[in-house]
Amino acid sequence: MSQFRNLIVSTALLGLSVSSLAMAQEPPITLGVQVPTTGSEATYGQDMFNAMQLAAEEINAAAGGLLDGRQIELVTGDSACDPQQSVNAASRLASREVVGVVGGYCSGATQPTLKTYGDANIPFVIVAANSTQLIPANPGNAVMINSTGDDQAKTALDFFEGKGIESLAIVNQGDAYSQDLANLTRDAWTEAGHEVAAFEYVNKGEQDFSALVNKIRGSGADAVFWTAYYADGGLLVRQLRQRGFQGTIAVGDGSNSPKLFDIAGQAAEGVFAFSNPTADFLPAAEQFIADYEAEFDSAPGPYAPLAYDGLQLMAWAIGKAGSTDADAIIEALNSADGQEWLAGPISFTPQHTLARSNFVVLEGQGGRWTRYAP
Amino acid sequence: MTWYDSLLQQLVDGLVLGAFYALVALGYTMVFGVIKLLNFAHGDLYMTGAFAGFGGLSLVSGVLGAGWLGIFVAMLLAMLAVGCLGVVIERVAYHPMLGAPRLSILITALAVSLVLQNAALSLTGGQYTAFRTDLGFGGLNLGNLFLSYNQIVLVATAGVLMIALELFVSRTAYGRAMRAVAIDKEMCRMLGINVSAVIAVTFFIGSGLAAAAGTMAGAYYGSIWYFMGFLIGLKAFTAAVIGGIGSITGAMLGGLILGLLESFGTHIPFIGSEWKDVFTFSILILVLVLKPTGLLGKSEVERM
Amino acid sequence: MSDSSNPRPSPPRSSSQREPEARRPWQRLIIAFESPGPRRALQATIVLLLIVMPWISSQYTTVILTNALLYVVLCLGLNIVVGYAGLLDLGYAAFFAVGAYTVGILTQQFGVNFWVAIPFALVAAAIAGIIIGGPTLRLRSDYLAIVTLGFGEIVRFTARNLEITGGASGLSHIPEPSLFGWRIDSAIDFYYVFVVLAILAYVASQRLFDSRLGRAWLYVRHDEDAAEAMGINRVRIKLAAYVIGAIFGAIGGIFFSVNLGAISPESFSFQQSVLILLAVVLGGMGKIPGVILGAFIVVLGPELLREFDTLRLLIFAVLLLAIMLFRPSGIWPEKRA
Repeated sequence: MSQFRNLIVSTALLGLSVSSLAMAQEPPITLGVQVPTTGSEATYGQDMFNAMQLAAEEINAAAGGLLDGRQIELVTGDSACDPQQSVNAASRLASREVVGVVGGYCSGATQPTLKTYGDANIPFVIVAANSTQLIPANPGNAVMINSTGDDQAKTALDFFEGKGIESLAIVNQGDAYSQDLANLTRDAWTEAGHEVAAFEYVNKGEQDFSALVNKIRGSGADAVFWTAYYADGGLLVRQLRQRGFQGTIAVGDGSNSPKLFDIAGQAAEGVFAFSNPTADFLPAAEQFIADYEAEFDSAPGPYAPLAYDGLQLMAWAIGKAGSTDADAIIEALNSADGQEWLAGPISFTPQHTLARSNFVVLEGQGGRWTRYAP
Repeated sequence: MTWYDSLLQQLVDGLVLGAFYALVALGYTMVFGVIKLLNFAHGDLYMTGAFAGFGGLSLVSGVLGAGWLGIFVAMLLAMLAVGCLGVVIERVAYHPMLGAPRLSILITALAVSLVLQNAALSLTGGQYTAFRTDLGFGGLNLGNLFLSYNQIVLVATAGVLMIALELFVSRTAYGRAMRAVAIDKEMCRMLGINVSAVIAVTFFIGSGLAAAAGTMAGAYYGSIWYFMGFLIGLKAFTAAVIGGIGSITGAMLGGLILGLLESFGTHIPFIGSEWKDVFTFSILILVLVLKPTGLLGKSEVERM
Repeated sequence: MSDSSNPRPSPPRSSSQREPEARRPWQRLIIAFESPGPRRALQATIVLLLIVMPWISSQYTTVILTNALLYVVLCLGLNIVVGYAGLLDLGYAAFFAVGAYTVGILTQQFGVNFWVAIPFALVAAAIAGIIIGGPTLRLRSDYLAIVTLGFGEIVRFTARNLEITGGASGLSHIPEPSLFGWRIDSAIDFYYVFVVLAILAYVASQRLFDSRLGRAWLYVRHDEDAAEAMGINRVRIKLAAYVIGAIFGAIGGIFFSVNLGAISPESFSFQQSVLILLAVVLGGMGKIPGVILGAFIVVLGPELLREFDTLRLLIFAVLLLAIMLFRPSGIWPEKRA
């Protein structure tokens, strides 16, 4: 509930600051923010919204807005990490004639909205969702600024090979994102001539993984790769270690949350995570972290830098297009030519995905994530 | 690990899982016994129990610590609180519906389940809550077989609770009344048994056992959330049906059988773990269709 | 043991018997719409309103109304199973899924024309209805509820696990249909498609209600043994309810899949089944206008309550409980019940 209140207060504050500045000026530029603000992924969504709000405030204050003094105004659409609800939210944003949309966290919920925004011809910067399933579903109006599952599978392959792993157990949660990552990793791993000892599913919300852990231990795997989210991942890590699994454990970028340590406790020590660059490991993010903490009283979460960049990129594209014309903005987005942003340079492939892999490897040490250097 | 050790390990794990299922299944079976209601909200009482236990532990951990003693006291508090909640639910939601068509009372139970779930959702924002305890990872290593102290305490506690229930039902006046109400409510009323009180006691005990299971699950697994009652509710119902709904011994037996089936089911060759729940639901459907009375259920329990 | 949904051959409880006179204004309003003249006028007004709606409102409203009309079709289908035949189905989303996936697979993976795929989807749904209904019809009602719940989950897990259904990501790029050269692809196009479907579902429900089958359902719902004694084959007519309900669900699913262009197992969860059931119960089991009202409430309600965030689900649950306790036959109850 406190989140909800924060959201209302912050939206109201933003509205207030916008209205006081923009009074009797040009009409504001409305941008949609599509993130889950309810449901189990609400923490991530709230965090992303905060970062975007910070970016919007900075643009409004420093440059006096966009296109000769037009202020940026944000409207949220709650995707709730659910396909049907996110389509409702997306069409609501489309009806409010937003100039562009920034967001997208859960891949499964982002996928059907691509059609909604495509039909309405609204530029869409996908901030976090990174399933490769999104690539063919993109009608051309969307760009993805997070590296895709392919890149993560490659990172995983390099990491496990570097550790001298021969036999790998891959566990996913049967949702679009984690199944995609698990399949990609399996394919990359077997193609490189290694063995997949076990390829397993667990259901969201299941608490007892003892049978699974026994199976993994019995399969002779040297390493376990969990491709889904932190909540169940924490339980799996805990039960693996409790039952004496000695091998390497790595988790995908859905589990790179500090909350993994809350749930797994001491078992999370020495666990590796593949992650998009989080604020702690970005040299350019120092000021961002300070601003974020000053404004929201908490540290920025794993997707805050990307969300911040997403909004900045959208604003930059609107500025470059020189108008709110959708085609011009989409063209400007695709012309991003590798300039530096908070989370690194952005330029796009012909498939509108990030041209480079931004994945880093983290290691759990002392109850927090640290950058891992082999 | 040889196949033999692995088999033993699965047996142990299946017993632990089965103990949880059995505790929750008991509530289903007792409530069904006295008012013939399939209490859809029972899994959510387990969830509420986990949160109550969490609250209880944060109350007492200052004095008693967050070890087994603290958890035990928290569990008793949770049992008391959720037991009362169960009685209130029966009074408010089910009691006025007892004469209504079965469809209406089932939907009422579903509504109660949704209310509990969404209340927890609103309070927690859908977040997982870490259930922090001071329980270690220690245990006994018997060859390749690993038995954690937590598992031992857990199964022992579940066992004690079940034995206590069995004694209560078979030795006390209330227990006898409970069995009598299950057989013929009208006759009991004529004989001067306070049927409403018996129903209330049944709800109290059933809900309390679910809360005990919820608290122990929270402490054992380490995290709780608003939707944790759904899956276990379904599985515990399956356990109650396998054992024979209405039969207390049957619920315990069914819980253990289901725990073992699941533990071994993960290892069925050629069928991946993605089919595990299909397997569980298929068992449920097969039992319901082929032998609706379960293993120990008596068919006369279902008359009325 | 006899099925306990009809405990004794006493006269059925009915709200109209307990309230012989309509006293409150809204009750009088409902009664007024029950008579043929005003009912025609109401129907005409609603149809007219549905036709002009996209021209006087935003795209968002159109999308939400499309969703509501989809629920009208689904709820009318479930109403046949629950309201007419009195069988509690907690896995109705399974039929919805069968329709959506059959069309999705045939059109997207095998390039079959959409209109050609429809009969296959309907047959698949009917078969699913028989598979689920066949062995379970002799069960007591609460067991039936759990068995249907189990079947619903099995269908969802199967869709998630198979390759042909696209796994957890589901199917995307389901091609839009065209009709005599008219390509159905914009939100407004689909809105009108669902207007037509909802009207068809309404007419079909009304016809079924008045038919021999409709009266047989009524009889079996009230007194199974007596109905059997009168020569009604209760297994066959219960099965008919399942199959017809399944076909309604499949029709909803067929057009749902081409409307979204993408389907995934999450759309067919237990929560979806509960939501549809909720609409039927809320509106009034067995009462067509009530069920339609219920469908609109469950779709529009959460949208209107969007500002309340997670609380909206709680408000909804409490509302359902209150309805069951204070108005167990729904907002617009069926008199013939």
